Amino acid sequence: AIAASIASKTKTKKKHFVAQKVKLFRASDPLLSVLMWGVNHSINELSHIQIPIMLMPDDFKAYSKIKVDNHLFNKENMPSHFKFKEYCPLVFRNLRERFGIDDQEFSNSLTRSAPLNSDAQGRSGARFHTSYDKRYVIKTISSEDVAEMHNILKKYHQFIVECHGNTLLPQFLGMYRLTVDGDETYMIVTRNVFSHRLSVYKKYDLKGSTVAREASDKEKAKELPTYKDNDFINDGQKIYIDGENKKMFLEKLRKDVEFLAQLKLMDYSLLVGIHDVERAEQEEVDSEDNEAEDDGESDGGGVGTPPDSPSNTLDSTKPLSPGEFDPSIDVYAIKSAPRKEVYFMAIIDILQHYDAKKKAAHAAKTVKHGAGAEISTVNPEQYSKRFYDFIATILS
Amino acid sequence: AAAPDGTAVSASKTKTKKKHFIGQKVKLFRASEPILSVFMWGVNHTVNELSNVPVPVMLMPDDFKAYSKIKVDNHLFNKENLPSRFKFKEYCPMVFRNLRERFGIDDQDYQNSLTRSAPLNSDSQGRFGNRFLCSYDHRFVIKTISSEDIAEMHSILKKYHQFIVECHGNTLLPQFLGMYRLTVDGVETYMVVTRNVFSHRLTVHRKYDLKGSTVSREASDKEKAKELPTFKDNDFLNEGQKLQIGDDNKKYFLEKLKRDVEFLATLKIMDYSLLVGIHDVERAEQEEMDVEGAGEEEEYENDGMGGGALTGSFGTPPDSPGNPLNCGGFFGPGEFDPSVDVYAIKSRDGAGKKEVYFMAIIDILTHYDAKKKAAHAAKTVKHGAGAEISTVNPEQYSKRFYEFMSNILS
Repeated sequence: AIAASIASKTKTKKKHFVAQKVKLFRASDPLLSVLMWGVNHSINELSHIQIPIMLMPDDFKAYSKIKVDNHLFNKENMPSHFKFKEYCPLVFRNLRERFGIDDQEFSNSLTRSAPLNSDAQGRSGARFHTSYDKRYVIKTISSEDVAEMHNILKKYHQFIVECHGNTLLPQFLGMYRLTVDGDETYMIVTRNVFSHRLSVYKKYDLKGSTVAREASDKEKAKELPTYKDNDFINDGQKIYIDGENKKMFLEKLRKDVEFLAQLKLMDYSLLVGIHDVERAEQEEVDSEDNEAEDDGESDGGGVGTPPDSPSNTLDSTKPLSPGEFDPSIDVYAIKSAPRKEVYFMAIIDILQHYDAKKKAAHAAKTVKHGAGAEISTVNPEQYSKRFYDFIATILS
Repeated sequence: AAAPDGTAVSASKTKTKKKHFIGQKVKLFRASEPILSVFMWGVNHTVNELSNVPVPVMLMPDDFKAYSKIKVDNHLFNKENLPSRFKFKEYCPMVFRNLRERFGIDDQDYQNSLTRSAPLNSDSQGRFGNRFLCSYDHRFVIKTISSEDIAEMHSILKKYHQFIVECHGNTLLPQFLGMYRLTVDGVETYMVVTRNVFSHRLTVHRKYDLKGSTVSREASDKEKAKELPTFKDNDFLNEGQKLQIGDDNKKYFLEKLKRDVEFLATLKIMDYSLLVGIHDVERAEQEEMDVEGAGEEEEYENDGMGGGALTGSFGTPPDSPGNPLNCGGFFGPGEFDPSVDVYAIKSRDGAGKKEVYFMAIIDILTHYDAKKKAAHAAKTVKHGAGAEISTVNPEQYSKRFYEFMSNILS
């Protein structure tokens, strides 16, 4: 008789280490299980490699590849056949360190529980997930993006060294290729621009351009639509931050866009998220009232998680009061001066290279403004100046 | 390529990041040969993988056909201690995990023994020159086997497991703990891990491989030249060797032996041996005093020859760093922890010499049918070196084996 196999988590053996939680890598999608498995594996491998004093040129060309083929084993949560490739492991480890991210914590964020789908979408429908604790964003990218990353990686790393990690550029933390059922998916992990705790009720993607810079009706129907430049202006939206914050922000922005222009990158955006303190307090009161019926759902939407939520396992210090944040985690947060708001602002989508664009534009010469394709007639230098001027103007 | 400023890259072990777990020691998998590094990496990996697979209430038939396979292809990464390309396959992971549990071996301990430091070469050789290694802490033996052995293991695994369940792990049969296939430079190597018959601490001064047969059962001159030769049946008898374990121990031992050889006969397995190791307590005390006397010059060497019970060199001092898991009190001369040295039997009070015996069955993978086939194929070849052509069948072999062993115990 074949008894059903009942999973039992209790082990009666003594363990020498403080017990690591069993990680099942359970997810709704085999791709996510493979991502969790892969990040877990990658961080474990790195823990057995001595950290070099400095990176070598080869590190920027390196990769690790692993292929798993199981037979009648570990089928519950993992596919039997998959591949996982990590690009430039030592470089991204160094970047994590420079961005103040501990490898074990990075691993935990991505592996203790499955990343959550985000209804946000990047350009050309790129898929997004956030880590279950909302600290990191996982973006599905193209193989061209991976190639572009390799092109800029050395200079990007050097830039991060020079600014001591103090930048509005995306914090690239890991880059992977997953192969499941013969399909290859490229993913990149960055630090979440928004807070892992404070909800964002309004979101803008700003480029400083005015052509087709308006949220579509379809977009506006979403829970947290991505508004654009024209919406921002038409709404009469303002970003109120004090003089000191404004100065620091614009210094970083200037350095960043100059760097991007040098690399001939363009079409990036400033992602802006606004947290309204009073509105959030009200939402929390509402959700507490509904607590008996509604277990707090951590479904990755824009709603903030209650301070004592289990998803904030790493917040071991005292709970934060409304509108407060830990600047070492929510690194992009800026308190608004007069208003009770918190802004999250950083640059995103930096992988579009001017030369690649021109090629594509020539090839598509007869195609008019396709949906989502922004054919700009400026060059990277002009783009960066226009971008900077626009952002400087909206800060007051 | 040199670093841009001309400095060499030097390894730094200090990490300034805080860690949430009690820091796992950095395991570099450094070894004298790539295959050993791959072995260490593989065991580390598979035990980690298993820690994320819930322990089922019971094994399923599929578990006896299962395997995990992993192929690594690194480029300009992690080249210091590991080859860039290798493969590692574990056979029936869930079954061996269950066996380890039944044999009282914690997976973390198993992993540590095999991965914290490289396994050591042993100059012992199995039949047909199989390679032996033991874990750096001498708790486990790693034997290189053939693909035919792998097939035989698969054939007997279910029944072996059932036998272990029924005897509650109380047996003289080899304790099979893990079985793997490593591929390095396109070459496949099969390995099986068993618990060391000998002690991880007490040296063995004399070793016998006994079958209860008398044809060609004598150590060759070449063998006798080794540091710890493997003597055989005729040597044992000619020397008038005795294993004085006392009536209770003898009874208990023979009960196990009978069950075990009956099991082997049912499976039509034969040509196994009883491996006997003798630890001479007084001699060991003398050796330790000699070592302490020479203390200043001879740094205690952890290079595998200085502490290997299997290789018959000096015993390791009780506080030696080679015994990280000896966290209990010091052991007196001739004393042992029976939960670690599971095969150890003290000589009875009143025996001529104070000795500790280590006895268990080894080499159980020769199947009668496979032998007959090989014998027929080699009909015209006479007794080749190392090939023992026995004319008995498994049933007869087991009886003759048992008789011989019961006679040499007193």
